[in-house]
Amino acid sequence: MDRWGRITAQQRSMPGDDVPVVLVTQGAHGPVIHALSDAARRRDILPGARVVDVQAIHPDLHVEQADPQGDIALLDRVALWARRWCPWTVRDGMDGIVMDVTGAAHLFGGEARMLRDIATRFAMQGLQARLAVAPTRGAAQMLARYSAGVICGPEDVALAIAPLPVAALRIKEDTVRLLQRLGLKTLGALMEVPRVALMRRFDRMAAEVNPMVLLDRALGRMGDPLNAPEDLPRWLARLRLPEPVIDPAPHLDALAGDLCGQLAQAEQGARRLRLTIYRVDGEWRSRDVALAASSREAAHLVRLMRGKLEGIDPGFGFDLLTLEALRVEPLALHQDHLDGRRDASADVAALLDRLSAKLGPDKISWSTWVESHVPERIEGRVAALGGGATEAPEVLRERPLRLLEPPEEVAVLYAVPEGPPARFRWRRVAYLTVRHEGPERIAPEWWRDRPGTRLRDYYKVEVGDGRRFWLFREGILGDGRGGDPRWFVQGIFA
Amino acid sequence: MPQQDGHKRRTIEGDDPFQWHAPAPFVELGLASCFSFLRAASDAVDLTATANMLGYDAMGIADHNTLAGVVRIHSEAKKAKLRPLIGARLVLLCGTQVLAYPRDRDAYARLSTLLSKGKMADVEGGWQVKGETHLTLEMLAAHAEGLQLIVMPPEPLAVFEAGLPRLVQALPGMRHVGAAYLYRGDDVARITRLDAIARAHGLGILATNDVLYHLPKRRPLQDIMTCIRHGVTIKNAGFLLEANAERYLKSPAQMCQLFSAWPHALRATREVADGCAFSLDDLKYEYPHEIVPEGRSAQEELERLTWEGAAERYPGGVSARIRAIIEKEFALIRSKKIARYFLTINDIVRFARQEAVPPILCQGRGSAANSAVCFCLGITAVDPEEHDVLFERFLSEERDEPPDIDVDFEHERREEVIQYMYAKYGRDRAGLCATVIHYRPRSAIREVGKVMGLSEDVTRKLAGTVWGSFEGQMGDQRVKDAGMDLSDPYLRRVILLAREMTGMPRHLSQHVGGFILTERPLTQMVPIGNGAMPERSFIEWDKDDIDALGIFKVDILALGMLTCIAKCFDLLRAHEGVDHDLASVPSEDPATYDMLCVGDSLGVFQVESRAQMAMLPKLRPRTFYDLVIEVAIVRPGPIQGDMVHPFLRRRQGIEGVSYPAPGPEHPQDELLKILGRTLGVPIFQEQAMKIAIDAARFTPKEANELRKAMATFRSRGTIERLQQKMVGRMTERGYDEDFARRCFDQIKGFGDYGFPESHAASFAKLVYVSSWMKCHYPAAFACALLNSQPMGFYAPAQIVRDAREHGVEVRGVDVDFSDWDCTLEPCGRGFALRLGLRQVEGMRAEAAHRIVAARDMPFADVADLKERARLDRGTVRRLAAADAMRNMGLDRRQALWQAQGLKDAPALPIFEHAAAGDEGTEPVVALPAMAQAEHVVADYQTLRLSLKAHPMRFFRRSLKRKGFSCTDELPGMRHGQKVSLAGLVLVRQKPGSAKGVCFITLEDEAGVANLVIWPKLFETWRAIIMSARLLVVKGRVQSDGRVIHVVAEGLENGTDRLDALAQEKVPATFARGDEVIHPVPGQVGGRRHPRDVRVIPKSRDFH
Repeated sequence: MDRWGRITAQQRSMPGDDVPVVLVTQGAHGPVIHALSDAARRRDILPGARVVDVQAIHPDLHVEQADPQGDIALLDRVALWARRWCPWTVRDGMDGIVMDVTGAAHLFGGEARMLRDIATRFAMQGLQARLAVAPTRGAAQMLARYSAGVICGPEDVALAIAPLPVAALRIKEDTVRLLQRLGLKTLGALMEVPRVALMRRFDRMAAEVNPMVLLDRALGRMGDPLNAPEDLPRWLARLRLPEPVIDPAPHLDALAGDLCGQLAQAEQGARRLRLTIYRVDGEWRSRDVALAASSREAAHLVRLMRGKLEGIDPGFGFDLLTLEALRVEPLALHQDHLDGRRDASADVAALLDRLSAKLGPDKISWSTWVESHVPERIEGRVAALGGGATEAPEVLRERPLRLLEPPEEVAVLYAVPEGPPARFRWRRVAYLTVRHEGPERIAPEWWRDRPGTRLRDYYKVEVGDGRRFWLFREGILGDGRGGDPRWFVQGIFA
Repeated sequence: MPQQDGHKRRTIEGDDPFQWHAPAPFVELGLASCFSFLRAASDAVDLTATANMLGYDAMGIADHNTLAGVVRIHSEAKKAKLRPLIGARLVLLCGTQVLAYPRDRDAYARLSTLLSKGKMADVEGGWQVKGETHLTLEMLAAHAEGLQLIVMPPEPLAVFEAGLPRLVQALPGMRHVGAAYLYRGDDVARITRLDAIARAHGLGILATNDVLYHLPKRRPLQDIMTCIRHGVTIKNAGFLLEANAERYLKSPAQMCQLFSAWPHALRATREVADGCAFSLDDLKYEYPHEIVPEGRSAQEELERLTWEGAAERYPGGVSARIRAIIEKEFALIRSKKIARYFLTINDIVRFARQEAVPPILCQGRGSAANSAVCFCLGITAVDPEEHDVLFERFLSEERDEPPDIDVDFEHERREEVIQYMYAKYGRDRAGLCATVIHYRPRSAIREVGKVMGLSEDVTRKLAGTVWGSFEGQMGDQRVKDAGMDLSDPYLRRVILLAREMTGMPRHLSQHVGGFILTERPLTQMVPIGNGAMPERSFIEWDKDDIDALGIFKVDILALGMLTCIAKCFDLLRAHEGVDHDLASVPSEDPATYDMLCVGDSLGVFQVESRAQMAMLPKLRPRTFYDLVIEVAIVRPGPIQGDMVHPFLRRRQGIEGVSYPAPGPEHPQDELLKILGRTLGVPIFQEQAMKIAIDAARFTPKEANELRKAMATFRSRGTIERLQQKMVGRMTERGYDEDFARRCFDQIKGFGDYGFPESHAASFAKLVYVSSWMKCHYPAAFACALLNSQPMGFYAPAQIVRDAREHGVEVRGVDVDFSDWDCTLEPCGRGFALRLGLRQVEGMRAEAAHRIVAARDMPFADVADLKERARLDRGTVRRLAAADAMRNMGLDRRQALWQAQGLKDAPALPIFEHAAAGDEGTEPVVALPAMAQAEHVVADYQTLRLSLKAHPMRFFRRSLKRKGFSCTDELPGMRHGQKVSLAGLVLVRQKPGSAKGVCFITLEDEAGVANLVIWPKLFETWRAIIMSARLLVVKGRVQSDGRVIHVVAEGLENGTDRLDALAQEKVPATFARGDEVIHPVPGQVGGRRHPRDVRVIPKSRDFH
């Protein structure tokens, strides 16, 4: 027995029921429609049409990029999830799931109730499913697509599929057209043609597109076993306690040790952990922890988890604890230095983990380089768990060692028409310019600065006592963006 | 023929505010224009105008490895009163950048040759990729003589210093190092160090600002271009962008101030500028010597050939009138020294007529083509004796422009002519012009939006608000309609930038057929680059550049109708025993005109469009000149000028012919002379121009300005000024103001898609010849039309249908009778049309030829066909699916069944026995009989037409019951009667001139009906109109006796019923909507090929 789930519903926020929504993929001549919403279907928009054409007819069309990879990934996950009904499930092409429910249906109260159960649970997931049950995989696939909801017993397969169009075999388009031109429009018509005659005409086709082979499979004349992928490995440590306890902390070491042992065996490291406690009253609570670098160091994991325990309400105590690695990454076995020193980068990662666990992931950030001509914009920040340190870009011009943020305005005591002020006052001290170099002109970044931002002319200025400042003048006289230009000091050279 | 590229070149216009300047102390040499593709952001107009305003007397141009932009600078600089210095920025493979300015013509030739070499072959000598230029120091050294070289130092200077000795050694002629003061902070130190480095190597520094744009405010556009070039968004571009906006064109005074510490750097620029004695005007055009035989001058040769031709054309002797015309033309040709041009064209035409086997049909058109000389030479078939008048416009002496002759050839054989040109003159002396591909509003918004980080959805919506044309700038209203918030400054900025980007050149492409021929190697005149296709190369200049330099070009164009006419002549010769060419077809044949008068013109050249068909019964052409008018009148020009209806009224005698006259103090007949031929209504472009000259007293210079303003990118201000001038002067002289305004409107219309009389005359000739064929030999004409597909407006289904309506028996494709082409077969009264195997979808010509060769006796069965014609299984199946085996007694289904059973392996006798034993005998399979309706659908799918029945026939009975009418009942209905119709949609149009009215042509088994849909209904029924293939209409008949329309009141989509015909889903084919919703005026023909028609006549939309 097979089963069939179909992904058509969009899991995105919809712009309203009457607006046709389409998902598009890149076609040979521009984007083509991949999937569409009910509203779009009501307007007779067809999959495979070019978006520009459809947009010309329906100017209110809402277009979204389709994500076939994502669809497949989702389908794969759904297929695994569907193992709640039977152990053999496999994704079927781009849009289906095949389940071998032989011997499993009675667990759910028979096939009909099982189908209802499946439909309900899919609906709860926000997915629309078209289902059919049939004695062979091929027949079930066809029925799900062409007459959903059918439950077909072993003796009436041929009867059930006879009225279906030949396209139900999922053969190539030109084969469909050929069969149609030959007058063999339904599977029933095809079944009536003598085998020898069919044999002669279709024996050269590959099995997966050969109408005869596919028909045989559907009718059960040819074996069509299901090759279900293995379950994904789960990294889970479990600890059952003889009697309920209130504080999970003492048990973390054992749990982490167990999990790390498992991980070490598989040469994996955890990036995401979840600790779950199962309370005696049947409730459960869980806590997640993310790591900056994959790790399977029990002590480290324990330290991280410990910080998280405070918020857990143990109720009347709990008797089961699990620690699961939700995301793992390959991590080769590696040896610490013989002299007992530790790798410094590992410490940094561990520190980041601890800080993030304590303060929240959005509080901890790395500084990162941003290519920008505007001096203060060259440094940006990214979340610490999201990225690592980046190489510094090659800065084209010499920059001072210290940047003042924000730049501090200086009072010009004695201005010269070109070049920096001959005398200026900064932080209540007057300086006399001895030497200068410049200007280096840096224009505003027009795409992000607000209109009216003035350009800056930077000067390196050496004052009497040998100190060197980085001064800039904001704007030029007569640039139409404000009055007299002002002077600022933005940096100090060594 | 209107040019479709639509882009109007920007040019400096109007009364110029420029003045000549005394030599400035500084000349900018490191200047790049937008032809340094995506590197610099200003065009020739901005650069030259700004330069003059800043006080420059001369200006260098050095684009990135190209000379593509120099002609524009050259011609704009002339207007902006500047001396252009022509050069290039050579970027070597090692990264070294050198500005090269040729001193004289020879040095220029070397520069051009160098660039050509880099563009045609890569370093290893292989075929160079399009758009790439590979230059090495060795190549430069070999061509450096006479070039003034300025090396542009890279950063850091240490690298430059290390590499300089090598450069100096290789390029002993190099004198200068370019130095730029770009506000980088260390400019003073840097230039001082450069100065020292230069001195150490015996060079001197030269001041430049390394200009990328004419004004600082162009920097955003340049940044955008940089991002497009690197494929990054502006946010991630980082240090790819310049830190400031200093690379604009600075005034000499500013530059003097910046370089005050290094006066020698400024002096150097002056020296280099003064050392450039070369101007593009020096590229005097030299015609190939082959054209003129030894010992004769070109003029003598032309006269000799003309008189020879005249004797042939007029066997009865040349009349005194013609003789006088010819003499007058000779005088003009002599004075303009263009005899060689005529000889060159003559040579090409002679090749096509005499050397090519079989001869290629061709016809010239253009301003000079309809001269008596051209008629005698055989370049055109329009006889000046019969159709007087045309030579008046031959060449005007004031217009200092090269004559213009385009030669059309059969579209399938144009390549032969091109190859002949290459063979005769060599690839180094003959070249195709380039076409500059510009950013159009849509591509501009798309690319700018991408760089600015807008999502694809948003840019698509923005792009969707502009449809194709250059004139259609992005209207704010349209953007709002698309649901965009225009108050968002970011979006506004994107739109502004896209507007600036629009019109910037994007890359060069090959022109359709503009050839130039030279005496010296072409590479010495202009660099030649490779096209994207192998064996294609073209010069870097486009046809406007060529014109600007006064270099003659020959347009070798392809015309489908010529192929059709040639094929038809062949058929007539073979079957009817009639031998004709374009000139010998009996003229002024009444039967032909009778046919045209009733609008029966399907398939005929030019007048087959719906608008033309509707015009024919109104215009009722009776003479050749009527056809000339017919061709010209259904054009945006006359329609915009509101000249069509006055003409028709006068033509039909409703209104008297009168000529607007000026006040009594002026000669009363001045318009009579101009408008006499067209009943007092200006119809042709040159008439409108002549009115400007005679009635508005425009000087030739003003008239030229008017013409140019119309033909090029213009500002609203200029137009208004000209309009005031023209209308004002005409009313001043006593003309009716309304008339004057209409004349001007018409000139405006011509600006878009001008249609001069000379073109109309050449086209009218083809109209006449094709009509004559259709009238007298409908079978041969339909046959030739089918064999020339794709061409024209109509799909094979309509051509066949039309032929059948004219009593031609059309026979189906059959492997026992059909050739590759459609053929004529004798039948009772005349000839029947046998469809050829070419109609079969996916059929290849070689397979068809093998079938024909193997056909010494009828094929016994499918296997026999496969074996004797050595066909593969796929081809046999295709033939079977096309129902082409009827003569074997197999219908489609049986044939397919048998074909499917064939083996593809070659039949080896040894295996035959084994195979037979293996499979046993084939059981007889009773396949269900194929319904007629299924046959028809399959016919459309495989042949794109069906001879069996019209799809609508299958609905007729049920339709009749519901009270629907058939199109053939329409003529019997009275005006205003209610009617219901159903039919296939053939054509949807929404012409720009019809103010939003949509026209639909419906077809059913009896004929066609024309629907009119008012704009209000169009919006309501939009989805149905745009997608339906089977349309159900309720409406009212509107008839004026000759032309019947149905004004739609209700529409319904019946397409699903069409699909139900064969009980299979027929995939929908939407018609491209843009032409309907946003028509491009003058657009001829659907964008899609008629061949693309897949299932049941997909309608095609055109104007």
